This record gives sequence, structure tokens and C-alpha cells, in this order.
Amino acid sequence: MNSILPFIPVRASIQADKFEALFWYITIVCTLAGILVYGAMLYFCVRYRRVGPAELTPRILGSEKLEITWTIIPMIIFLTFFAGGVYVFNYAAHAPRDAMEVFVIGKQWMWKAQYPNGQRVIIGGNPVNMSDEERSSIGRLVLPVGRPVKLTLTSEDVIHDFGVPAFRSKIDVLPGRYSTAWYHPTRTGEYHIFCDQYCGTWHSLMVGKVAVVEQNEFDDWLAGFTPLQGSKNAVDGSLASEGRQLFLKLQCIKCHSGDVQGQAPVLEGLYGSRIPLDGGAFQDVDDSYIQESILQPRAKVARGWKPIMPSYEGQVTPEDLNALVAYIRSLQPNTTPNWTDRFPAPNGAPTERPQPKTSPEKKP
Amino acid sequence: MSTHTAASPVAAPPPPEPAPAEPNYLNVSYSIWSWLTTTDHKRIGILYLVSISVFFVVGGLAAGLVRLNLLTPTGAIMTEDAYNRTFTAHGVLMLFFFLIPAVPGVFGNFLIPMMIGAKDLAFPKLNLASWYVFMLGAMLAVWAVLAGGIDTGWTLYPPYSSRASTSNVIPGVMGVFIAGFSSIMTGLNIMVTIHKMRAPGMTWGRLPLFCWAMYATSLIQLLGTPVLAITLVLLMVERAAGVGIFDPAIGGDPLLFQHLFWFYSHPAVYIMIVPGMGVISECLTCFSRKNVFGYKAIAWSSMGIAVVGFLLWAHHMFVAGISFYSALLFSFLSMLVAVPSAIKVFNWTGTLYRGSISFQAPMLFSLGFVVLFTIGGLTGLLLATIGTDIHLHDTYFVVAHFHFVMVGGMVLGYFAALHFWWPKMTGRMYSDWWSRIASVVIIVGFFFTFIPQFIMGYHGLPRRYPNYPAEFQYLHVMSTAGSSILGIGYLIPAVYLTLSLFYGKKATGNPWSATGLEWQTPSPPTTFNFDYNPIVVCGPYEYAIGVDQLGRGLPKPPGTEDGTTPPSPDSPLNKETKVVG
Amino acid sequence: MSASTHSSVLKHHFDNLEQQHSAERLGMWMFLATEVLFFAGLFGAYTIYRIWFPEAFEVGSSFLNWKFATFNTFLLVTSSLTMTLAIRAARLGNQKALLWNLIITAILGTAFMVVKGFEYAEDFHESIVPGSLFGGHIKQDSIDRGIDTGKVQLFLVFYYVMTGIHGIHLIIGIGCVLWLVQQAYTAQIPPENYSTVEVVSLYWHLVDAIWLFIMPLLYLAGAGLKSVH
Repeated sequence: MNSILPFIPVRASIQADKFEALFWYITIVCTLAGILVYGAMLYFCVRYRRVGPAELTPRILGSEKLEITWTIIPMIIFLTFFAGGVYVFNYAAHAPRDAMEVFVIGKQWMWKAQYPNGQRVIIGGNPVNMSDEERSSIGRLVLPVGRPVKLTLTSEDVIHDFGVPAFRSKIDVLPGRYSTAWYHPTRTGEYHIFCDQYCGTWHSLMVGKVAVVEQNEFDDWLAGFTPLQGSKNAVDGSLASEGRQLFLKLQCIKCHSGDVQGQAPVLEGLYGSRIPLDGGAFQDVDDSYIQESILQPRAKVARGWKPIMPSYEGQVTPEDLNALVAYIRSLQPNTTPNWTDRFPAPNGAPTERPQPKTSPEKKP
Repeated sequence: MSTHTAASPVAAPPPPEPAPAEPNYLNVSYSIWSWLTTTDHKRIGILYLVSISVFFVVGGLAAGLVRLNLLTPTGAIMTEDAYNRTFTAHGVLMLFFFLIPAVPGVFGNFLIPMMIGAKDLAFPKLNLASWYVFMLGAMLAVWAVLAGGIDTGWTLYPPYSSRASTSNVIPGVMGVFIAGFSSIMTGLNIMVTIHKMRAPGMTWGRLPLFCWAMYATSLIQLLGTPVLAITLVLLMVERAAGVGIFDPAIGGDPLLFQHLFWFYSHPAVYIMIVPGMGVISECLTCFSRKNVFGYKAIAWSSMGIAVVGFLLWAHHMFVAGISFYSALLFSFLSMLVAVPSAIKVFNWTGTLYRGSISFQAPMLFSLGFVVLFTIGGLTGLLLATIGTDIHLHDTYFVVAHFHFVMVGGMVLGYFAALHFWWPKMTGRMYSDWWSRIASVVIIVGFFFTFIPQFIMGYHGLPRRYPNYPAEFQYLHVMSTAGSSILGIGYLIPAVYLTLSLFYGKKATGNPWSATGLEWQTPSPPTTFNFDYNPIVVCGPYEYAIGVDQLGRGLPKPPGTEDGTTPPSPDSPLNKETKVVG
Repeated sequence: MSASTHSSVLKHHFDNLEQQHSAERLGMWMFLATEVLFFAGLFGAYTIYRIWFPEAFEVGSSFLNWKFATFNTFLLVTSSLTMTLAIRAARLGNQKALLWNLIITAILGTAFMVVKGFEYAEDFHESIVPGSLFGGHIKQDSIDRGIDTGKVQLFLVFYYVMTGIHGIHLIIGIGCVLWLVQQAYTAQIPPENYSTVEVVSLYWHLVDAIWLFIMPLLYLAGAGLKSVH
């Protein structure tokens, strides 16, 4: 990253292409005009420099024809700039109706995004003034490539500005009202998000990342399967984070802790692997195996573990199952939460408790 | 090319050199009290000169600290809080206490009565009051900046400034509010003076272009500043009483502040630049010994800028949440205001055509002005175009554009004026050689400082960022290196101008062989400027004929072989030089 | 130089009295232009918010005491009349009439401020104040009508800022008139210098005229509001 900037900054949206065309049209025309004026000045300064005693100069008072010429011609040129600007701005100001909508909230000094399915991601900000949980959840604004996305933005405190240079877009984010911006990303990659409106001490750290990914990766991420957002925790509001809540609430965590010495296997990184079962068989850990293990835990017990896990048949809905699967799928090394009292076993939860500190128990 | 030319009559002989005035306005009395109670427009001009120089130094030091801090991507010398206070100090001091009063306060006061053949401004006491009011406001603002600082940026946007900021916002805003009245007083004084105090024969068509520029400037000061004043009052009420005027959390609308603020602060940039344009018109004609090309066009374009300048404030708000159609309208109007500026540049270039050009320091500063101002103006088009502004807004591109106009334009214009009228103000000549060196160093340093900022802005780096992505570092380092050259460039004039006061050769009444009425007095002038009633017989720039506005001939211009002034033996700085031209 | 040079009146840097007077008048007109712009910012902001929150502004207005304001209007308009009579007296050289008209003008202006003071006291007593002191009937009434009390306070901010700034202008005006009284008393306003009185009167009339805008905008906006109870 510490290299020389490219001549033209990376263009990652249709608007960026339109911007560059207009920018270079204006720049080139202005450069030509500048060369014209500077050339004339330089020529006059050299050609008419004073060499001897001051000569009498011709009494030239002006020329109406020239005045009109250099009033009308610049005006026409400027109006072409204006027309180009209106064209680009018109494109930038009106999002297509089918655009996916993402809400963005700015506050001192943090950006948060909320997706249509309820997922919430912290997409940037200054880690210093965040809570521990927020800090471990700093991620990125993940957007699918080739699909219009509309951002609706508001602020919780002072005025901010949400700018993405790679998209050539920028919009002020005001408290008490909603502003909108939209992008049509054309190129995958990771780009800067800047707060462009001065907002206080940590203004310069109110920066984040936007990640443009392929549609299938985006779908996976929306489901919470991949930690694309870049943070350790499941994306807030995603299926996986719902599963995480259930995982705590149903006391799964009591046995399936992050501790390898616990009563049940650590589930981190389990999904997609192939594990040995009691009895010598092997099993691919996929959606259906996890579901089965929750509903009929003793059907296929992982080798080395006792079949002590109770059945959750009737305790979890199919939706809950999906969420739990998504969570287990998203678990990365060292991300299993600690056990917490916040979620005592709900009424009617399985009463068949694991015996504390007896032999290791079972169940994937 | 079809041009209006007129036959050149034979030049009249130059008038005899006026005897050095004894006493002149400087030595008529020496006590501090006589300076603090003076109503002499020239002395008040000097008071302004001294005070704004102090603010320029303080603001410049703040700029130096900002540049130093940007050497590394996480801030080289300061915390974020200190950085925010420093750039705010730079902005507030430079804008409200240097750029706005610079030319109107110093040269407007000093020159307008002399240029139109009057004894003083129309309201001398008001003029003195304006300086005191200015100093009161400045003291308050400087105190606010030094004792804890202000961290809102000079734009003072609420709700940050009214609710979130914990810094000295109220004293700072109060200082700006008070200084605004000084600006109104100066503008009012100059306008009335130009209307009512012109010497016989000084028709509107014979006014020097500097007077036209000051007239346009005063109009803006008069009509724009009160709107800023009331806006600042509302801001202070909101902050002090905790009531909602601009803060949406308790009822108000932050965009209203931006509208009111820019209604003044956009025209305010014309308060800063238009006087510079007036100075340039004077210098370019004098040093190319030419009648100005397109007098009417330049004069009316100043007025055009003043009027149209009031109609395009919201182009600072294209991405701030204004409606689509108002963005279109303000972009369109912004294109219109570019036209008069372009007209001026073309006319200045036309003035050089077939001239007899010499390159003393005022001329070099003026040429620098035209070059840098043109870049500043052209890049402004990219910001006035809505389609490009949505990317460039609030980036270093804006910073660079603004500095090209304000420093490249206005500060160079100020330096041109300082060098052009220094002999008249002090009665001393400064070192020709060093002044030329200084002008070149300043222009070169300026380029290195601000060209990298255009590139950074184009790549999207926001302004007011003490922390920035590492890929921008080499450009920031270049910019800081350039700013150190610029800083040295500013130091050189400080030295030779100060030395000139003690060692400089005595200036003649009309050292540049210029035509304006102000030159038809001794250097330095007497308290009442003219010991006769001047009667103006022709336009301001009759260099081709070789007569001043009183119809008398002109002395030999400097830089001609027999007109070159020999170096003063007692000055170490007055080196023998060959004329560049 | 003009023959009418009157050394005590003509200032040194003017050629003649005519030039001096016209410069003074022009200066004052220009100053009035800046004053108009100053209040224009305030009236503009008021207008925008009034259009956005008409109900809240009506409620806020209905709690102001229009009787005080009407009496004050009467005082100010009368003072403009005496001010104008003072110009006439100065021009005719009637020193006595000049002096008395100026004194009456100053008294009327002061009376306005006194009434204003009573009005503010009453407002504070009834908690018709924005910010933390806001409360009492006005708050209850706003809540009963289902109106955001923040917007009602916004109206009160404008009430205090507009009348406050107008009051400051009036105090400055009274000061100028008292200065004229002193000048007239020491017979320093000869007929050829009547423009001094005229210049002050221009300012006085402007302050008066601004009140004529403030009065309906603030006090009469809620006149048609029906009681909620």
C-alpha cells in the first residue's frame, strides 16, 4: 500500500467511469486554455521586455470584438461543463428502483451499516472510543459486484459525510434527516470509506472499508457463513448471530465451550471437515449432520466422546436449527464465546444435565 | 486585431520632483498617543498593516505546524485534538484577521483618498473606530485560539460547534462577530468616499481600477457581513442557552446555518480576491507602460463578481443535502461567475501586448498572481460542476483550489501592493535584487506546496485529516517540503523591508513613473495628501501618451538604463544588479 | 471652496457643507442597508421555521402579551413623529422646539424599553422561556395540543433574539438622541447642520420600522388560535 499512487485512482463503479470522463474533459479543456493564456503571457513578456530606455507604447484601449469573443466562448465552454455535470449528477442522484437498500448510521466516530435482512455491521471508526464488543466487531461494508445498492444514511449526533473515493461518491450524513447515495460497483476489491465532513477529535479515524465481492460470496456472507465482514464475531443480525444467541440461550455453550478439555467437542472450524465416528465410520460435517446431531444426538457420535447429549427434538424450531447450523458454520478458531449466566436454561429446556466433571461427554 | 488606438500626442514634460514634505504624515508627530488617536487614513492604514502582519505570522506558524504534523500518516508532532485546534487557528486567523482586512484595511484606507484626490476618507473617526473594533475582535479570537483553542474548523458547522465541541467556540465566534463590524465600517467608508469625495474631473470612467475593485469589495462587505453577524449571534445563543436553532435534536435545522453562513462566506472570498485583482490592474499597466486593455470590461467584471457572487452560496453544499434542482441552479450560477474572472485574465494578458515590460518585484508578484489565480480559477470549475464536485468536495482538492486563489491570488496581490506602494508609504526603496529573489522563491515554494494537494484530493483524501492512509505520505512530504520554501520566501521580504526603513534609499515622489494621483504627492505624503486641489484631466493609465491623471508628463521609469537607481552605498542588501528585462 | 464654509460645522476634509451632508446621508443609508440585511437573516430564518412548524409557532405566539406590544407600537410610532418634528425644528433654527422634540423622543423610546422590561419579567414569571426554564402553562398547552415543545421553544428563541436585538438597537438610538439633546442644549446644531438630526432620524425610523415587522410576526401569529380547553 505504501507505494506511489496510480495516475488515475481505481474506478470501482459506473459513476467512477462517468466521473473520470467528465473530470478529464474539463481538465484537458482547462489545460489548453491555461496553455493559451500562459503562452501568450510568456511570449509577450519575452518579446516586449524592456531593453533600453522606456519606449512609448501604442495606446491600445481594448477591443469590443475581443471582449465579446472572450466572454461568449468561455461561457459556452463553461456551459458544456455544466451540462456534463448535470448528466453525471443526475445519474448519481437517482438510484434505480430495484437497488438493494442498506442503511448506514454515522456517529462520533463510527459507521454502522444495516442490511435488509437485519444484519448489522460496524464498518469503520476509531477503535479507541468503542466498547470491547464493538471493537471486536469492526468489519467492512460488503457489497455485491454488478448490482445497484442504495445507501440511506443518517447521523446520531453531528454532521458526517460518507465518501467512497473508488466510487467517486460522497454524501453528507445529517442528524435528524435521511440522505441517500447509490453505487453500482463494477470491480471487486477493498476500498476506503472516508468521513469527509469534519466531525470532531477523531474525524480522521472515522474511516472504514468497503469490500466489493462476487454475488455468490455476498450471498454466503448474508447468510453469515463466511466472516467476510472481517471481524471475529458473527455479523450482528445475521442468521449466524441469531444462532449464536440460541447457542447461548439453549446452554449449548455449557459443554461445547472453547475449552478443549470440556465435556464436549469444540465446534470451531468443524463445518466442512471429515470426522471419525464411534464405530470406525467417517462423516462429512455438513448441514444435515449438524441438524441430525442436534435432534438425535446419539445417532452418530463422534469418536472419543460419550453419548451424553440430550435431544433437542421439540425444543428447537426448524428456523432455530437453520440459525444454529449457520452459526456453527461461521465459527472460526478462538471465537467461541465464554459461558454466561445471562441466559439461564429456558422453561422446558432439556433437564438431562451433563454430570459435572465426570468423563468427557459426547456429541458433535 | 481591431483595437481602439488613438494618436499619441507629444508627451508633456514631467513635473518637477515635489520637495520632500516636511513634516510628512509619518514624522508630524511621534508619540504613541498620536498614533492611537489618529484619524489620518494613512496612519490607520499603517496601523492595519502592523496588526495584520502579526496575525499573518501567527496564522502562518499554525500552517507550518499543520504541515509538519502531516509528515507522517499518524501525525508527526501533535495529537488529533491539537491538530484540529491548529488548523482552525490557521483558518480563522488567516481568513478573518488577515485576508479580509488585508487590502481593504491597509491599501483601501491608505490609497483610496489619494487615488481620487481627497484629503481623507469621508468618516475619519469611523475609520479609526473600525481599527479598534477590529483589534478588539482580533484580541478575543487570538485569546480563544491560544488559550485552549477552537476545534470546529473555520466553518463552524453546528451541531458540532453548538453542542459537541468542548473548545472555546463562543469567544472565537464573538471575535469574528466583532471584527465583522470593522469590515462593515471600512466598506461603508470607502463606498461613501468613492461616491462623494472624488476630485474635480475624477469621473467614474476615470477611476483607477483599484478603486473599482474596492468599490465592489465594499459592496460585498456592506451587504454580506451583517448576515454572517446575525448567523453567529444565533449560533452563540444556541450554544450558550442550549436552545435549538440549528441543532435538529432540539428543533432546528443544521442546513439553515450552512445557507446563512455561506451567504456571507462565499461572497467573502470575493472580499478577499477582488482587491487583489485591483492591485494587479495597477501594477501590470505600470510595469508594461501600457494603457490597460479593456478598462470597462475589468471595471464591470469586478461589479459583476460582486453581484453574482451573492447568488451562488449553495455551491458549497452540493452534497450537504440540498435539493436536486437547487444544486442545478447553483452550479449554473457558479459557471456564470467564472466568466468575469476569465475576462479579467484575458484583459490583463492583453495589457502586456506590445508593452515595454520590466520586471521589478511588484510586476513579478503580479505575473505570479495571474498564473496562480488562473489555476485556482480553472480548478474551481471542477468544483462548480456538480458531477465532479460529488467526488472532490471536502478533499484536498478544495484545499489546493482555495489556496491557489487565496494565497496564489490574494497573498501575491497583497505582496504586489506592498512592494508597489511601499515607497509611497514609507518614503524608502527596498532592495531590488532581494525583492525579485523573494518573489521567485515564494512562487516556486507555493507550487511545490499545493500542486501535490491537488493530486491527493483527486485521489479522494479528505481535508482536516491528521491521520491518513500511508499511500498518501510521499505527497504530503512533498507538500511540507514546498511549504518550507514558501516560509523562507515570506521571511526574505520581512528582512529587506524592515532594513529598507533604516537603510533604504529615499524614494522619489513617483519612483515607478506611474500615472495615478497618489504618485503626484511627495513620498511619504503630507497629512492632507495634496497641498493643492487636484483637477483630473484624463483616465488613469495614459502610459502611451506619457501623462499622469493631472495631465503632466512622467519621470523616467525605473529599469531603463539611465533610470536605474545606483545601489545605496550604506545598504549591504542593495547589490548591483542587471535588469532582467 | 464653497463660500458657505462654517468652520465649526464643516469638517476639514470636505470641500463644502453640501458634500459633507450628502456624504453623511449616504453613509447612513448604506448603514441602514446593512441593518436590513442583518435583520433579513433573522426574518429569513423565522420565515422558514414558521412555514415548517406553523402550529408550534401559533401556540408560542398565543402566549405572548399583545397588549404590551400594542402599547409599545403606539409609543414608537409617536416617537417617529416627534423625531421628524425635530428635523423640521432644526432646519428652521427653532432651538427650543428642537430640544423638546428630541427629549420627548428619548422619553418615548425609554418608555418602550421599560414596558418591554415588564413584559420580559412577566414572561419569565410564567416560564415562557426556551431552554431549561421552559414550563408552566405554555408547556402544558403544547403537550395538550400534541405539539413538539422543542418547536415551541424554537419560536421563543426567535421571540427573545428578535426583540432583544431590536431593544439593543433602540438603546443605541436613545443614546444617539440624548447626544443630540446635549448638542442642541449647547446650541451646536445650527440650521446648516440640521443633517446631523436627519441622519439620526434615519436610524430611528429604521428601528421603528423593524418593530412594525416584529410586532405582527411575533405577537399576532397566534391571535386566531382557539383555546384547547
